[in-house]
Formats: sequence, structure tokens, C-alpha cells
Amino acid sequence: MSYLPKTPSRHHRSRSETKTPLTPSLTSGLNALSLGFPRQGSSSPAKTKADVSINPFLASRPASPVRRVQSRPASPIKRATSGSLHVSDSLQRQASSGVIRKGGVESRIDVITRDYVPPRTQKRSRSQPNRDTRDRFITARDMTEEVTATLDMMSLNPQSASPGHTARLAAATGVPINRRVLAYHEPPPPSSSDPLLAQARELVRPLYARPGALPTSTSSSTGKSRKISTTPERVLDAPGMLDDFYLNIVAWGAQNVLAVALAENTYLWRAESGDVVQLGEMPEGTYASALDFSMDGQYLGVGSGSGAVELWDVETQTKLRTMTGHSTQVGCLSWNQHVLTSGCGDGSIWHHDVRVARHKVGELTGHVGEVCGLKWRSDGELLASGGNDNVVNIWDGRIGDVAPGTRAGARWTKRNHTAAVKAIAWCPWQPSLLASGGGTSDATIHIWNTTTGARLHSVVTPSQVTSLQWSPHKKEFLSTHGYPTNAVMVHAYPSMEKVVEIRDAHDSRVLYSAISPNGDVVCTGAGDENLKFWRVWEVPKVKKGKEKEGSRSGTGSTSSGILSIR
Amino acid sequence: MAPTKQAPTRQAITLKGSTNLVTEFFKFAANTILFQRGVYPADDFHMVKKYGQTVLVTQDLALENYLERILKQVNKWLLTGSVTQLVLAIISKDSRTTLERWVFDINLVEQPTNTSEPAPVKPEAEIQAEIRNILKQIVSTVTFLPVIDEPTVFNILTYTTESADVPADEWVDTDPLAIEASKSQQVKLRNFSTDVHRIEAMVAYRYEG
Repeated sequence: MSYLPKTPSRHHRSRSETKTPLTPSLTSGLNALSLGFPRQGSSSPAKTKADVSINPFLASRPASPVRRVQSRPASPIKRATSGSLHVSDSLQRQASSGVIRKGGVESRIDVITRDYVPPRTQKRSRSQPNRDTRDRFITARDMTEEVTATLDMMSLNPQSASPGHTARLAAATGVPINRRVLAYHEPPPPSSSDPLLAQARELVRPLYARPGALPTSTSSSTGKSRKISTTPERVLDAPGMLDDFYLNIVAWGAQNVLAVALAENTYLWRAESGDVVQLGEMPEGTYASALDFSMDGQYLGVGSGSGAVELWDVETQTKLRTMTGHSTQVGCLSWNQHVLTSGCGDGSIWHHDVRVARHKVGELTGHVGEVCGLKWRSDGELLASGGNDNVVNIWDGRIGDVAPGTRAGARWTKRNHTAAVKAIAWCPWQPSLLASGGGTSDATIHIWNTTTGARLHSVVTPSQVTSLQWSPHKKEFLSTHGYPTNAVMVHAYPSMEKVVEIRDAHDSRVLYSAISPNGDVVCTGAGDENLKFWRVWEVPKVKKGKEKEGSRSGTGSTSSGILSIR
Repeated sequence: MAPTKQAPTRQAITLKGSTNLVTEFFKFAANTILFQRGVYPADDFHMVKKYGQTVLVTQDLALENYLERILKQVNKWLLTGSVTQLVLAIISKDSRTTLERWVFDINLVEQPTNTSEPAPVKPEAEIQAEIRNILKQIVSTVTFLPVIDEPTVFNILTYTTESADVPADEWVDTDPLAIEASKSQQVKLRNFSTDVHRIEAMVAYRYEG
């Protein structure tokens, strides 16, 4: 310490040892007052003390160099310049960039200095590379260079007058021209989010994730030139509509009448006029759980939560008969001419012949879980059913051969789905094709060839498949989905390409759908108590005349294929 | 009627305008660093469109206010030209060692005084493109920066001139939170400049290879 003022290099060494901020120390060479450390930088010592305790970064500062530097008397000017001699630009840069070169050239030099203090004028170390301006032994530099170096080091404001002038000024007055390193008095706030909560959020993220996200929820994206409106054509209020995956409470009949069950009430909406009539009400304590129009659209089958199946005349809005026998909820109904087939919560499927008093003409037992999807093929040859036991069954439709009580086995039993199968649809233009879609944990649509029993195509969707509708005119089908996308999607067949996806078609999961008799509009229902009508397909105009011939493609409100049950 | 002289669509950027631009850049740069280096959980950030790209900005109110307070003062210092450097240091929470130092040098662009013609005005689009490049570079640095496993905190240091007007009880002199040269690597990033300021970015990180 005693020879400290004499040897500036000693000064350097101590600095690099203690990692004292270089810049303030340099300043001390000019003026001890310009030191950047808390006690001096702050207005009141007591306050700073408190700050030191607050700021963890300040606390980490070693105390000893501070004291040493502080105790050093204000340096003579001469020392200031000579001290700055040995600090090159690069060293200054290191300092300002927060890096202190330890074990670098200068520290090695410092070690020598400890033993031998060379006279200033002595020329040594000629062998040292000239470029190393940090070599304090090379003293042959002219003074102007030194001054500019000093200046540079101090990073003077370039807008101040000429460098030489400033340097002289600085040298003469010892004015502190330097930087201060300042930090805000309080440490940055810790993250407010609870790590446990964050972890929990991380875990549920897959549930919120909407795979294959589109730029916007309503944009359609395919290379197709066809534009499908992503907004509903019409929205009807459906107060009290049940939000139950296992029900099928929207049906659109051949008379262009839409039936919808709102809890215990059944309403009819005539698409042509827009009139709404209440068809009827369920007995106290139960609700309508399934609807289906007969093939001519004259009659409506209504399944109830108690297991009864009612038959209503659409025209007169009267109940014709009630067929009882099921023990629990009838979740799905499907007509085949005069036979109304019902799927029950206990897994049984019954054929009701609506013309005869003893209505139960057949029973199909193949499901161990609730039957939630049931569709007759339009020709009545085959019946497809899907259940809560994740099974798709395809039954032979020739019920006449089956005596009451006989247990007929399913023609095909498909166990590829891994969740309840509610969505079932027969292809109208290729009779052997059947589409089925699985629930939440499956979310897959399979296309089957019911003749060979082969699985032809599969497509994985982002969320549960709640219903499927084939287009009668186009090689496409529509699927409705539940949480989280609540989407209506149109897929091309057989490429299975997504033609359009309407995200958030409803505010809650889309559960029910029905296609209009002419096949252009699809109506969807959901737990958000809305019925929405989507114009998805167009009715080909040219074909209309040709098809009058007798194929029951259902382009008109009535079709010759319909057989009256009277 | 003589055709009206085409008014200049944009005046030369003023000191105030440039200061605001620089301050805003610091805000987004700091946010980007805090997100990219995982100082705060990714949950705290949300996407904002800025400089023609998506920038992640914190939505933690406490942090937002903290940065706001700092940048307000930096803005004042910028106006008086008394801040020369801004450093965002990332520090290990437990050992208190500095792991990374993000350094932004602030230089005043020298105006050529001898020429009577005013310097050509730098189009704002160009400035934005430069800023965008820096932010993109910050994002890309994660490819070479060492992975930080430990919890970290950050601190913002400002290097001011000695004459700077310092609010005494808000700002305190501090250690530069340096990284020893033998254990550090430095990478210079791009820079951007307005008509008044030139900002040079650099990152130094602890690397004991």
C-alpha cells in the first residue's frame, strides 16, 4: 500500500484481482471523487445502506476494494495521465463491456512490476509486439497519442469540443469525465405466476391445443376453388335443447319439415314457410331423446327417456300410438318403411312394426353399451348401429326371417373405434359405403365397405365426432365435432382431404345434425341452444330433370321412392 | 394555380422522436431477451405485432411496470444524452454470478456541421428493418448461447455520464456485474441507427469451455 501512489500498475493489478469495476477505478486515477460505488453515488449514506440490503447485486460487491480505493487520496494530475497511459482502448472496451481480462497480458506485466518498477524513460521490451498498446513498457509513444487514448478510454462525449482541448481540460482540472454504472434501486419482480399453477397449465395445454390451427377460426383452406360460406345461413333459437351426446334430437324429413326436441317438447319447423308449430309434449318426468321422420316424411317417431317410442302424424300433429317395452332411454331411431327401429340404453335394438298391435317384431342384441347411433340403409338391406361399447355393428335388414325372440348376430362387428360411436351415415351414392365416427378419445372417422367388411379409409380429426352427413350430390361428407374445436368439417371422398373447416360453429360442442331433403343445407344443433343452417353443398341444376325418373336421391321434397305406410 | 410543392412526407426525425424510438426498442428487446432466455416463464408472455413481426411481450403487470419505470428514466437520460450504455444482465438466482450480459451501446450520431445541406433523412421503414434484424438476432442467439438450467433473475444497468441527473433514491451506483474475461465469450449483434442515435448491441456470456 505504501508504494501504491508511485506505481500505477500496482493499481491495475489490485483492480483485476478484486474485479472492481474498471471504469470507476480509472476515474480514481483522475479524481477519487468520481468513483462509482454506492456510498458516494447516493445522496444519504443511510439510504444507501438500506438500498444495499435491498439490492442483491450491490450486496455481492466486495467491500475491501471499495475501502482501499476510497482511502486513496485525490491523485495528482501527473499520476492521472500516467495511470491512464497503460490502459489501452481495448482494456477500456473490456471494462465497458463488463469483461475484465484476468490473466491477460497486462496482468502478467503487473506481476513483473511488483518486483521492479522501471523508470519511465527506460526503453525495454523491444521484442514486444508494437501493436500491444497495453504494454506500458513501451513509453516511446508521443504525448498526443496518449492523450487521445485517454480520451477514448473515457468515452467522452464526441460532441464536446476538440479532443485535445477536452483532454487538457480534464488533465488540468481533474474534472470527472466518466461513466457511472447505475441500477434501479429495486430488483425486478419475481414472476407472479405460481410455478405449480404453471406446471398444471403445462399439463392441460394439450386439452386446449387446437391442432392444425388455422390462421383464423373461420377461414377455409384448400386449393379448391369452391367457396363454402363459413357463416350460417340462418340461426334459430332452440331454448332448452339438451346438451347430451347420446341423444339424436334433430331430424329433417322428406316433407321439408325439421323436427327438433327441446327437452320434453317437440317442435316442427317448416322450412318453406318458416312456421314453427309445437308437435307435442312428452309425459311428465321424461324428455324426447330421439327423433326420426318416416321415409315419406308423414310420420315422426319420437323416443323418450323412459323407453317409450311414440308415433306422431306430422300433418295433423296428433299422436297415433305409443309403443312401450324398452326399459331405459331410447337414444336413436331409424325408419325402414313401416318398421321403426329403436336403439336403447341397455344395448338392445328393437324393430317396431308400426302397423300392428304387437309392435315388436325383432330384437338385435349385439351391443353391451348404450346404442347411440342407428341408421338404416336407404334400401332397407342393412342396418348400422354404433354403441357406447365402441362397437359398430352392421346387421342384415331382412327382419322377416327372424322370428320374434330370435337372436340374430350382426353381419359385421367392427371394433376399431376407441370411443362411443354416435356418428353413423350411409353413403347415398355408393350403397356399400358406411361412415362412422368415434367419440372424444377416438375422434376418428372410419369408412367401411359393408359388402366386404373392409375398412377403406380413416381420418383422424381434432375432436370427438358427433355426427356425419354424406352429400347426396358430391363426393363429400360432413362431420360435426365437439370440444375443443366445436367445428363443422367437410371432407372429400375418397381423398379424405379437408375441404372446409368451420371452427367454433357453435359456442359449445356441435351434437346434432340433419341434412335437408334436397341435400344442400345441413342443420346443426348444439348445447348453446341454437340451430344453425349451413349451406354446404349446391343442388346440381342440370341433373334435376333426369333424376325425376325414380332414383330416390331426395332432390325434391317428395320422392317417388317413398312408400306410404298407410 | 401553380402546383403546390410536394410537401416532405416526413420531417427529419427529432431528438425526441428518436429517443422514443430507442426507448421503445429497448422495451421490446428486453422483453424478447427475458422470454428467449427463460428468465420469466413463457406463460407470462403474449404475442404482439410490432415492427412487422410478432414480438413476445410480458403481461405480468409487476414486470411491465418495472420495465416501464426504468425506461422512463432512460428516456429522460436519452433526451439529455447522458446515457451511454444499457446493460441487461442475467444473473443466476442462487449463486449470483452473471451468466449473460446484453449490452446496448448508445452513441450519438455526429451531425456534419460543415455542410449546409441537412443530412439525408433515414426512412422509418429502414430503421424498423434494422430493429427487426436485431430482435431476430436476439431470438436466434438461443442457438449458440449456453442452456440455462438454473433459475435466473435479471438486472438492468445503465452507464451514464457523471453529470447525469440521477434521481437519488431510485437509482444507485452498482457493480457492473461483469463476467471474467477468461470465462466469457462475446458476440456482436447488429446495430441500428436513427438520425440521432446509433445503438450497437452485443452479448457476452459465461462460457467455461
